[in-house]
Amino acid sequence: MIDIVLKSPLNDIHNELGAKFTEFAGFEMPIQFSSIKNEHLTVRKSVGLFDVSHMSNIWITGKDAEKLVSLTTVEDASKIGDGKSQYTAILREDGTVIDDTIFMHLGEKYMMIPNAGMSDEVTKWLNDKAEEYDLCAIAEDVSKDYVIIAIQGPKSREILQKLTDTDLKTVGFFGCQYTDIAGVNCIISHTGYTGELGFELQITPPKMAKDIFRKILKAGKEFNIEPIGLGARDTLRLEKCFILAGNEFEGGKTPLEALMSWTINWDHDFIGKDALLKQKEQGDYQRLTYMECIDKGIPRHGCKVQKDGKEVGVVTSGTMSPCLSKGIAMAYVDPGYREKDTILEIIVRNKSVKAKVVKPPFVKKDWAQQN
Amino acid sequence: MSDEVRDDLKYTDTHEWLKLKGDTVIIGITDHAQTELTDIVFVELPEVGKEIKKGEELCVVESVKSVSEIYAPVSGKIVNVNEKLEDAPETVNEKPYDDGWLVELELKDKSEIDVLIDAESYKKSL
Repeated sequence: MIDIVLKSPLNDIHNELGAKFTEFAGFEMPIQFSSIKNEHLTVRKSVGLFDVSHMSNIWITGKDAEKLVSLTTVEDASKIGDGKSQYTAILREDGTVIDDTIFMHLGEKYMMIPNAGMSDEVTKWLNDKAEEYDLCAIAEDVSKDYVIIAIQGPKSREILQKLTDTDLKTVGFFGCQYTDIAGVNCIISHTGYTGELGFELQITPPKMAKDIFRKILKAGKEFNIEPIGLGARDTLRLEKCFILAGNEFEGGKTPLEALMSWTINWDHDFIGKDALLKQKEQGDYQRLTYMECIDKGIPRHGCKVQKDGKEVGVVTSGTMSPCLSKGIAMAYVDPGYREKDTILEIIVRNKSVKAKVVKPPFVKKDWAQQN
Repeated sequence: MSDEVRDDLKYTDTHEWLKLKGDTVIIGITDHAQTELTDIVFVELPEVGKEIKKGEELCVVESVKSVSEIYAPVSGKIVNVNEKLEDAPETVNEKPYDDGWLVELELKDKSEIDVLIDAESYKKSL
């Protein structure tokens, strides 16, 4: 088999802008343009533009589309009105997460945005379940038909507003709708992965995206907008304690372990529910835990977590926080060692780095105003 | 983009520079290396007095997203480390050939210097 590395339709622009590239889930994507730290702070303080075309797009249609979404996610889709989107998880029967995703309710249809490289698996899962449960609904992988760009940061709305007649203040948090942006009809949603004010655009056909990307960069000049790579995307989400599928679900985790209970609507039936109820009752499982380093050192994926030399957990994501200038980590930790202010040791290259359990997020909402 | 290469230094093809000082040698990473790494946020230095063989891990330089091991280009004993980097690792980005040096080694085998490349050859390799 030949490994094919897919390129974003915006690849030429990234090259022009001096991107360094990385391969991520089968896609060649920019990891950084200027520098991760600089891009990160630009998004926190002003605004940045992301190409996230590596993410997947699936249309779910048919008269039972709503039922299929409710069955295969932890959300009751009947509660999510037209023009709203929802962050949720798709589970196996054993309660472990296949993927976390956003779905958008757009008229009679739903669009799901699974993670990069997940389109085949999720599409197949949805269609298999539609058949198994005798639902009249079809999932269609349309990832290649869409370019996704995200504009994120406190100035994002002001900039995007220059390119549309729609009053963007009317698009509420997690709202979604069809809107003309720079003369192109896109799906716009008030969503993002940075913890800042921001919007995401689903653009089809892909060739229309270049022009929009350039126009947003031009419109954002007065606020020193910058293109942002996957490096800063990762540090931005980590500071806000947002999970990354490949890291935090590795090896099969349930939404209870990943602290996603808040996304679960227990009042409806969904695949994986029984397993979760059982786990909830048992209560004795590792949970995601947030730690800030006291000693110098940077925790990374896979580092062991200890208490007085005894292993109590493992780091799933870690970095140097560009905003806080200290090491931060998410780790699965045994119950009993997760209380706020508990001091744990993270083992980085055979050295013990002291870290403190903290409440999420690492970087609070008002950080930019105070710094 | 032009990376600075200084004429008075020796180089490795893995982007370390070495400055001879009698029996000792000062080691750092080149301007090209720091540009590639960007945003150095942590430097783990060896202990003074440690004997190290050519090819062994000398120190670790971390950027926001990556961890890079620097291997000893020559064998010897660590006689000095740049402790300032513990609080200001970004100095490696700012002044890779001066204040951003990493370690000073007492040379064990001077002939190891002969296989290093000069500025001219290093420049060509970039």
